Amino acid sequence: MNEAFFSVENLCISFGGLMAVDHVSFSVSKGFIFSIIGPNGAGKTTIFNCISGLYKPSSGSIIFQGEDITGLKPHRIATKGIARTFQNIELFSRMTTMENLMLGRHIHMKTGVLSGATFFRRGSRAAKEEIRHREYVEKIIDLLDLQSARNQFVGSLPYGTQKLVELGRALALEPKLLLLDEPSAGMNSEEKQDLVFWIKDIQDELGVTILLIEHDMKMVMDISDRVLAINFGRPIIEGVPDVVQRHPDVLKAYLGEEETIGNAS
Amino acid sequence: MDMKRDYYEDIQLLDSKVLWFWFLMLVAALATFPFIAPTYYVYMANYMAINVIVTIGLNILVGYTGQISLGHAGFFAIGAYGTVMLMSLLHFPFLLALVAAALIAAFFGFILGLPALRLEGPYLAIATLGFGMAITQVIGRWELFGGRMGVEAPALSFFGIPVMTDLGRYFVTATIAFIMVLGARNLMKTRVGRAFIAIRDSDIAAETMGVNLVYYKTLAFAVSAFYTGIAGGLFAFLLGFISPSTFNFILSIYFLAFVIVGGLGSIFGSVMGGIVMTWLLLELDKIQELPLIGGMLISFSENFMTVAGLPNISSIIFGLIIVLLVIFEPLGLYGFWIRTKIYWKTWPF
Amino acid sequence: MFLQLLLSGIAFGSLYALIALAMVIIYKTSEVPNFGQGEMAMLSTFVAFMLLDTYGHSFFVSFLGALVFAALLGVFLEFVFLRRAKDPNILSLILITLGFEMILYGVASWKWGADQRDLSFPVSDFDLVNIGPAVISYLNLATLLVALVLMVLLFLFFRYTKVGIAMKATQQNPMAARINGIRVNRILSVTWAMSSTIGAMAGMLLAPVATLDPNLMLEPLLKGFASAVLGGMTTLVGAALGGYMLGIIENLFGGYVSLEFKSIVAFGIIVLVLCFRPSGLFAKHYVRKV
Repeated sequence: MNEAFFSVENLCISFGGLMAVDHVSFSVSKGFIFSIIGPNGAGKTTIFNCISGLYKPSSGSIIFQGEDITGLKPHRIATKGIARTFQNIELFSRMTTMENLMLGRHIHMKTGVLSGATFFRRGSRAAKEEIRHREYVEKIIDLLDLQSARNQFVGSLPYGTQKLVELGRALALEPKLLLLDEPSAGMNSEEKQDLVFWIKDIQDELGVTILLIEHDMKMVMDISDRVLAINFGRPIIEGVPDVVQRHPDVLKAYLGEEETIGNAS
Repeated sequence: MDMKRDYYEDIQLLDSKVLWFWFLMLVAALATFPFIAPTYYVYMANYMAINVIVTIGLNILVGYTGQISLGHAGFFAIGAYGTVMLMSLLHFPFLLALVAAALIAAFFGFILGLPALRLEGPYLAIATLGFGMAITQVIGRWELFGGRMGVEAPALSFFGIPVMTDLGRYFVTATIAFIMVLGARNLMKTRVGRAFIAIRDSDIAAETMGVNLVYYKTLAFAVSAFYTGIAGGLFAFLLGFISPSTFNFILSIYFLAFVIVGGLGSIFGSVMGGIVMTWLLLELDKIQELPLIGGMLISFSENFMTVAGLPNISSIIFGLIIVLLVIFEPLGLYGFWIRTKIYWKTWPF
Repeated sequence: MFLQLLLSGIAFGSLYALIALAMVIIYKTSEVPNFGQGEMAMLSTFVAFMLLDTYGHSFFVSFLGALVFAALLGVFLEFVFLRRAKDPNILSLILITLGFEMILYGVASWKWGADQRDLSFPVSDFDLVNIGPAVISYLNLATLLVALVLMVLLFLFFRYTKVGIAMKATQQNPMAARINGIRVNRILSVTWAMSSTIGAMAGMLLAPVATLDPNLMLEPLLKGFASAVLGGMTTLVGAALGGYMLGIIENLFGGYVSLEFKSIVAFGIIVLVLCFRPSGLFAKHYVRKV
């Protein structure tokens, strides 16, 4: 097997003596959808926070495209092409959808204080750049069907739409690796269907590799190429969905009793 | 609703012929105003222009980036003293001195921004407050700066043309203020401004989207200090004389009051806030001259308070305005403006 | 020399400690650094002055009267203004208290002008007691003792009384406190009354040393606030220790280095401390969770 696109090796992090993530390793091939499942408090989001640089791991390493990105500052990691969404929406609530997505273009833009403050003509560099990136953002708005929310402040949008705006903002960064933290939480079944469709689109058409944390087992089993199950910060098993789904420890961790996951969701 | 055909229309300042017309009318009105208004009102307009610049500067920090500062009088002082000193000691021409002094203020803003990276709420408040106090203390005790007695502003000339009157100063001050307002508006509509707002709304999300928090938080302090420094430099010439006691803690609070009254996170609000509050500030100084209320206040003061203390009523009114606005209209004048606009759009329903 | 500076540092430090305690008590329940604290104390001190000087009451009547006034003022401000804030974030709360500051300052200077007055105090500032090679005035000694007694009382209050324990519960988790039958609003009123009273005590102890005018508490408030921040806004013990530390450091700096820049050094130290311990010396630093 050649070098993995993205891999985590022996990742550990502890908070006040408690091991929140305990020797977790996995690797993701380019273009795959890789899901992490586990009960609440198993340490899934903590792994994401380590990857995106919000937490510093106690030990272990995170390798992205052959480069060690462990412990880099979050904004450095973003410039490497890793974007994420949050479990409890972290949008810029007093900006419009458009502006939120434009912020996603931040790393691709150059306008500084002086050129930003002094654009008074259509032909100026800042205005040109602004227009070019607005065109790109407009494509994402079309892709995610967000036209109606385009100029609304995101704080006033319905929950499901806010989740989409967050997804759109992450896409605006043109990520190579996209971390989705419970994207379907709070959505109704119709919205969930759309979401599955879009995630597939992002994988197939944009060629983005996706790391997914999700509680909806049906969705996980449908779209994932590989699944990692963890509990108490420790990995249980990693493999293709069918295998992980049937693993007795996974069933025990999830349900506390013998029952197939398919029926539970 | 009008259809937009071009992305540029989203970001340009004046997107219709009607707006262009009003814009030109505004410029014309601002240009003719000082010739027909009495001198006192020209002086007041200068004062307003200066406070508008400060208010925008502070709003960039407080309203847009979500940081607090109780030390902006310090940057104001740096701007004022810097300009005067650079002109009288190093014989800089006015405009160069003004910009240089504002850059010094910006540098101090950057320095102050460093500890601010890790501080929140009350901790940031006390750090900025300490900074403001320290600046006035140092200036007040340093002989170079004229010590407690203060210094006089040198004669002002603009590209070789001597500027001696309020009318002359008006053209300098108002032009600079006008440019700075437009600059702030542009800045907030582009990449840097969006990064500021993003930090205010969710610093964690901003970080993970590639916004360098260290850089942009210190930048916000620097830009804010730059604006305040420019205003300070202009202020030195408005008064003609500056002393450390002018730049006290209360002044910092007044600046905050301007921002709150205008509306947090709104350039237009800041313009309104700066204008209205300056008017109020100057009018309240002579409250006893008001026709009916003045007499009542004086007799009330004679019986229950002191007449000498009457001017302090402005402090009471300012305080009340701050408290009531924060409680009932957190968006300030800008909030009023938006609601009035909506009211008239949908009138009579 | 050193002992002397240390001693007067502690005396001043106990004033800072009192103000810091007053602020921290409010900060812990209302989550707002109360910038109005100083002017609340100043106004109360003026009330004592008025009772004493204008109406000729005895010292203790005036003193008690001022304390009662302070308590009522605290309850009033919290009930009438702070509780009305719709969507309180830290910035708007700070602004409201800054508004109090301006209102109270305005009222005091309207009523009493900028004249400097003396608050006649039964304990002398001039008679001295010898402690080893150093001396301390009776007044400073009294300040020290009052501060210590108050701190002990506060400790006992929070440890053993029902109200004190309810207050602690409210500070830690208002929602849980409410569910457990504590009337959180009433606790808030008590908090403000207590804090205002402690502040007033500091004001009246300070007035004889300084001169009584509307600017009386401007600098002490900032120092008290700085002490609270130095120790950590969330710990009573820390705030008190911060007050003593600030008093001592300031005095030593004034004695050995430069009297002129004495009051700046306080803020310099605080900025330095905050760089390394962003929540003060004695408080735990919490990081927001995603």
